[in-house]
Amino acid sequence: MIKTTHGALSAMLLLGSTALAPIAANAQDREVNVLLFSMPSTRGLAALADDFEAETGITANIDVVGQDVFESRITLSFTGGARDIDVVHTPVIQVQRWVEAGWLEPVTDTVEGLEDKDDILSGPLEAYQVNGDYYGLPFFAETGLMAYRKDLLDAAGVEAPETWDEMLEVAKAVDSDETAAIAMRVAPGQGFNMFVFPMLMRAYGGKFFADYPDDMTPALDSPENLEALNTYITLMNDYGPQGIGNFNFPEVVAALQNGQAAMTVDGTSIVSQAVDPAASQFADEFVLALPPGGPAGRSPAIAVHGLGIPAGSENAETAAEFIKWATSTETLTKLAINEAFPDFTRASVAENAEVQAKYAEVQEDFLDLRIEALNLAIGHYRPLIPTWPEIGAAIGENVNAAVNGQMSPEEALEAAQEEMEIILSY
Amino acid sequence: MPATRASAAMDRTYRRMLVPASLAVGIFAITPLLGMLALSFTDFHLVRGWSGEIGIQNFVRLFEDRRFISSIYIMMALSVFGVLAQVVLGTAIAVGLDKIVGRWRFARGIFVVPFAVPHVAVALIWLSLFTPTLSPINAFFAVFGIEVPALLTTQTGAITAIVIADTWATYPFVMLIVLAALQGISPDLDEAAALDGATRVKAFFRITLPLLYPTLLMVALFRFIETLKHFPLIFVMTSGGPGRATQATNYYAYVQTFQNSNVAYGASIAVFLFLFAAAISFYIAKANARLSDA
Amino acid sequence: MGNITLDKVVKRFGDVEVIPPLDLEIADGEFVVFVGPSGCGKSTLLRIIAGLEDLTSGHIEISGRDVSHLAPGDRGLAMVFQSYALYPHMTVRENMLFPLEMTRVDSRAANEKVERAAEVLNLSAYMDRKPGQLSGGQRQRVAIGRAIVREPSAFLFDEPLSNLDAALRVNMRIEIAELHAKLGTTMIYVTHDQVEAMTMADRIVVLQAGRIEQVGTPLELYERPCNEFVAGFIGSPRMNFIRGAEAERLGAPVIGIRPEHINASRDAGMWNGKVSFSEHLGSDTYLHIDTDVGPVNVRTTGEFGVHRGDTVWLNPNEQSIHRFDTNGMAV
Repeated sequence: MIKTTHGALSAMLLLGSTALAPIAANAQDREVNVLLFSMPSTRGLAALADDFEAETGITANIDVVGQDVFESRITLSFTGGARDIDVVHTPVIQVQRWVEAGWLEPVTDTVEGLEDKDDILSGPLEAYQVNGDYYGLPFFAETGLMAYRKDLLDAAGVEAPETWDEMLEVAKAVDSDETAAIAMRVAPGQGFNMFVFPMLMRAYGGKFFADYPDDMTPALDSPENLEALNTYITLMNDYGPQGIGNFNFPEVVAALQNGQAAMTVDGTSIVSQAVDPAASQFADEFVLALPPGGPAGRSPAIAVHGLGIPAGSENAETAAEFIKWATSTETLTKLAINEAFPDFTRASVAENAEVQAKYAEVQEDFLDLRIEALNLAIGHYRPLIPTWPEIGAAIGENVNAAVNGQMSPEEALEAAQEEMEIILSY
Repeated sequence: MPATRASAAMDRTYRRMLVPASLAVGIFAITPLLGMLALSFTDFHLVRGWSGEIGIQNFVRLFEDRRFISSIYIMMALSVFGVLAQVVLGTAIAVGLDKIVGRWRFARGIFVVPFAVPHVAVALIWLSLFTPTLSPINAFFAVFGIEVPALLTTQTGAITAIVIADTWATYPFVMLIVLAALQGISPDLDEAAALDGATRVKAFFRITLPLLYPTLLMVALFRFIETLKHFPLIFVMTSGGPGRATQATNYYAYVQTFQNSNVAYGASIAVFLFLFAAAISFYIAKANARLSDA
Repeated sequence: MGNITLDKVVKRFGDVEVIPPLDLEIADGEFVVFVGPSGCGKSTLLRIIAGLEDLTSGHIEISGRDVSHLAPGDRGLAMVFQSYALYPHMTVRENMLFPLEMTRVDSRAANEKVERAAEVLNLSAYMDRKPGQLSGGQRQRVAIGRAIVREPSAFLFDEPLSNLDAALRVNMRIEIAELHAKLGTTMIYVTHDQVEAMTMADRIVVLQAGRIEQVGTPLELYERPCNEFVAGFIGSPRMNFIRGAEAERLGAPVIGIRPEHINASRDAGMWNGKVSFSEHLGSDTYLHIDTDVGPVNVRTTGEFGVHRGDTVWLNPNEQSIHRFDTNGMAV
């Protein structure tokens, strides 16, 4: 069950031939292998590995790799039954697919056994429930917010937009040669442009499916989606910085921090870098707000990341211990204090005075805004289906092609619809 | 005959020396290759698994798949223009450096530097150079009121950008090999050409360049096969975009295998790539033999 | 036309003066050999004339025209390299056509010239081969052919025979000499082999450390070497030098006597000594003898039957004794 022999062996090797004393059976000889993909909060988590060892005596070998490496590694590990990973980074967006493939071990007992289970934000937690079992615990919940340069909006004599239609007008008023009105991610990918674009889609009443989850007929080629896409294209091409068609995370962040863009609508990990005084030249000028809405209301983006246990794990007990530690109030509080954004998944973290002080300094109502956005966000903002990664990529590529003028918005939606139908027909 | 016995013993020794390498190739190259080949005849899907069926359906699908066919055009554009640019630039610099001796020799070291930069870092460097809001190039020309276009938002531009980044990172490979070849060409030939009345340019094109052909062909082949495997530059610089305009075949294999879970189909694309590279290698090796038998 | 004048030619590599100021006149049609030990500057001098090395100072005139700063191809010269420097990727024909193409000779005329040169040099059968498929002697002839077709005002040869075996070298020596006789063009020929120099040259220029030691016809150099160096360098086997009391007795601090100017006898003579080594060639016998005045080499005609350790008497031919002062200059 636990790699006692293995640990003792390596300890003996370390000691060399002297073989001084019998090795104590508890401390140091338990290990847990954790595979995460790189994002600020996973890097922050890896930095806390020593705390985990100090508390539990378990060595956490945390490997943080790029997303492409991550995907090939887990694919090989899971399909090959390598069992070299005890804890795996489990984005909500992949849970359905991995569960269907039989890659994840349920962690229901661990979740139900938590004394403070109710402290975990229910939206993010429930997203890990598939067929009545939990397959992960969340450590990160990012929501969509808007950041805008109050100084520039004031100078243009406009108020922060409440809807995307207003956004078009504000952008027109604010846009100048020095500062583009708005920068958003356009690079193709289910986690890139398809993280932000559904905010427009859903605000205009557009959908992925006719009636999720009851009627799973693709519904991309609707007038609502077309309106959303046209708005997105106009905003990006007419009021975005030059080269926006290939913008991804770092480019958007840099444009905001360097004063090349006046507004953005994206996840907290981007907007909080605009208001981070250590990195942004205009931290004081940026104001955070809820993302714009539309005829169908506001639908902030949501991305939840958690930790799961690969199926067939021989080390499940230790793995569960690590997951409990990583998603505990204490650890999440440390992350909220160490990192630049409040993407914690427990309500109690918001009650910590230090956390409150830190984010109040950025903006009085930062934490409240986030809670409000989380409450507005729908769990299936991006559909929770096994084929989403494939569908998301296909739509994202067509949307990107439309922004870059490779096809018309109508053609893009039509193509995306068609591809979605093919994917779902398998 | 003692001589024969000695040489047979030598042969045995050489054969033994090949054992570890053969094992390594067998285990780490041939096995996965066979695995990939086997996979390509199944319908294995990461999530849905394998139905037990075997057939050539994946290969039939390849030739009906518009994305696959367009990925070949993209791959060929990246490879052909990339290899051309690398060979021309690498050769030009090698020819320049070849004549430099004495204390300026350290220049060679400087020109090799990009070769040591990891591909992902190369991609990040050029991504920022081609992003108008981040690029010092755009900032410089903006001073004169000139707007440098954003390369990465059009297909031609994005392919150009990847070719430039790839060329920057790999011309040193061409340069080093050409430099070695140049040093194998007798300086007498240059002098003879000078006495024969050839200008430096004519001497280069009539004497040096033809003598470099076999080397250039080999180096182009190496680079060509390498460029078929384009991945990090595309992944980091364009994510395959704009749209799908830079989804070269190898990238498309990744998309099918890992993003779309179509492992078997991805394997059939990989098999195609392997056969394609092998065919080109074979053809060029033959051409090379013909060129160098003189 | 084809006379070459070197006027105070100087060559320095950095601080090292490899050629101190040097003057030389070469007449039209002359066959001049530069000879000297390796490192004496003979090749450098040839390369300066060719334009392959820059002059540090001084002037070079060819056919009355100052070419000091002209490119090699503009000097109207042709050169045959030690390595032949054939273009390996071109056929024999292409090799020979190359200089004509470079000087924009009309292609029919060029082909005619090449055919003619090939005939003269016995290359007609090999015109479509590449240099790699030819023997050493054939390559040498192609190199010469490539030089001939340019119809240069002078040919430069840089140790052209040193890569050939002995028998072929003798043949090629004759071929080149015949070629000179036929063409009558000025030739400058660099070699370290004094036999080549003696057999081929109209005039020999003996160089040492970048300086001209003596210029003269082969016989002048043989008969009247102006100093000890030239005396020792020209002639084979090498001249014997005797110093000390015996030299003073014969009228100079140093005397020189060629091996072929000493008679050997079994019973009487001026010097006696023991045979340390003898070479019996049939036509000649070379004796190496340890005498009271030092080791002396002798060349006798025909067989001279002695063995190691035999005592032999030597008689130098008095008229053939060369006398040198303490500075090595002939007196």
